[in-house]
Amino acid sequence: MSQPTAPSSPSRGRVVVAVLAVLAAAVLAGVSPADAVQGELVRIMYVHVPAAWLAYLAFVVTLVGSVGYLVTRRFVFDRLAEASAEVGVYFTGLAIALGMIWAKPTWGVWWTWDARLTLTAIMFFVYLGYLALRRATAEPAVRARRAAVLGILGVVQIPLVHFSVVWWRTLHQPPTLIKPDKPSIEGTMLMALLAGIAAFTVVYGLLVARRMELARLEADLAAAEASLDRPVAGSAVTAPELGEAR
Amino acid sequence: MIPFRRAALAVARRELRRERRRGTVAWVTIPFGVVALLLVPLAVGTEQVLLRRIGPGLYWVVVLLFGVLVAVGDHDGRSQRDATALLGIDPVAELTGRALAATLLLLGFELATGVAAVVLYDLPVVGLPQLVVVMVLVAAGLGLLGTVAGAVAGAGPGAALVPLLVAPLAVPLLLGATQTLDGFVQGRSTISWILMMIVAVTVSAVVVVVAAAPLQEGR
Repeated sequence: MSQPTAPSSPSRGRVVVAVLAVLAAAVLAGVSPADAVQGELVRIMYVHVPAAWLAYLAFVVTLVGSVGYLVTRRFVFDRLAEASAEVGVYFTGLAIALGMIWAKPTWGVWWTWDARLTLTAIMFFVYLGYLALRRATAEPAVRARRAAVLGILGVVQIPLVHFSVVWWRTLHQPPTLIKPDKPSIEGTMLMALLAGIAAFTVVYGLLVARRMELARLEADLAAAEASLDRPVAGSAVTAPELGEAR
Repeated sequence: MIPFRRAALAVARRELRRERRRGTVAWVTIPFGVVALLLVPLAVGTEQVLLRRIGPGLYWVVVLLFGVLVAVGDHDGRSQRDATALLGIDPVAELTGRALAATLLLLGFELATGVAAVVLYDLPVVGLPQLVVVMVLVAAGLGLLGTVAGAVAGAGPGAALVPLLVAPLAVPLLLGATQTLDGFVQGRSTISWILMMIVAVTVSAVVVVVAAAPLQEGR
């Protein structure tokens, strides 16, 4: 009978690095100058942009996990895909919410039918569907196989979301960092933005590792429960005892 | 192993026979789509000018949302899937046949609700060749996406997920359909939108081919 192994705690070093990275990013975001046009609202960008970056990263890692599972049939890849998709959905939601908070004072509306916004919302719902699919399928191998197909299919949206601001010239500004020429942003602001991206990436790594560990424990527990000695079906039914004839 | 084309056509015929017996599309989905077209003016207003302006968009939204129900069809139970596997039918041929049947049913759905939209919203029927191309591409794209989503979600509680899985991925089809016909009316070039739809349909077909084996294995 397989026994669930004890959970491994995250190393204190990794947690300390994550906390320090977040603190450094917060300090840099605080001391960077206000934007000439946006004013103090620009500070929302130091969380919004890293959150959007993490959404891309998380869904690419989901793709890697999905392909890895279909090729090797090892559940560690399935757990990687699942953990990364969960964290990715959270950060996509955060990016959308912060974008809306920024848009209200800047554009005058919470939501506008901009290509980037609309496609990001669609990506959010596709991966929400991915997570719902995982919850709806009980058998681990079937779940992993089906989720892997959707995890591969869903990644098509990342280039669509990223290049939407280039292909359709709409309200959302074009790429600032990931583009062929130099980043179009002031030095201190660039530092704050990069620090935010680095900090969020470290936090992402920590969260994915913890979520994978949790998924492994859940799988171990399910396997241990399944292998417990249980009464066989029909064991409660006993043969009738014949009494003495009176 | 049964030859691919024969197997795909046999599966498509089986699906169409099932629909003929059950009549789900003819007697449930099409009437439901027409009711949706009938209800919208009660909510947004019944002015002919307004309905003529928003009618084509509403029609394609109804096709997308209700078409998903047509495209996914009835998912096989375990015993049926085991029987199909024992017959030696290639998983790609099975999904292709299902997609083919879904495409034909969707064309019927588009036609029936299209007539209702023209009548209810007083829409002019212009650019018939473009309209036919768009209808075929939307039917093929939705048919392929619905088939993959049906196989991904499986039978049982997962089946309820299909609309959530398909609707966001079908956005290129919705955009292509509305923009092509709008572009024709406005006198703009529509080739880029048609190309986008062809790309979407091709990608969906590739997904059917690539995903068929892992989705159907261990049935």
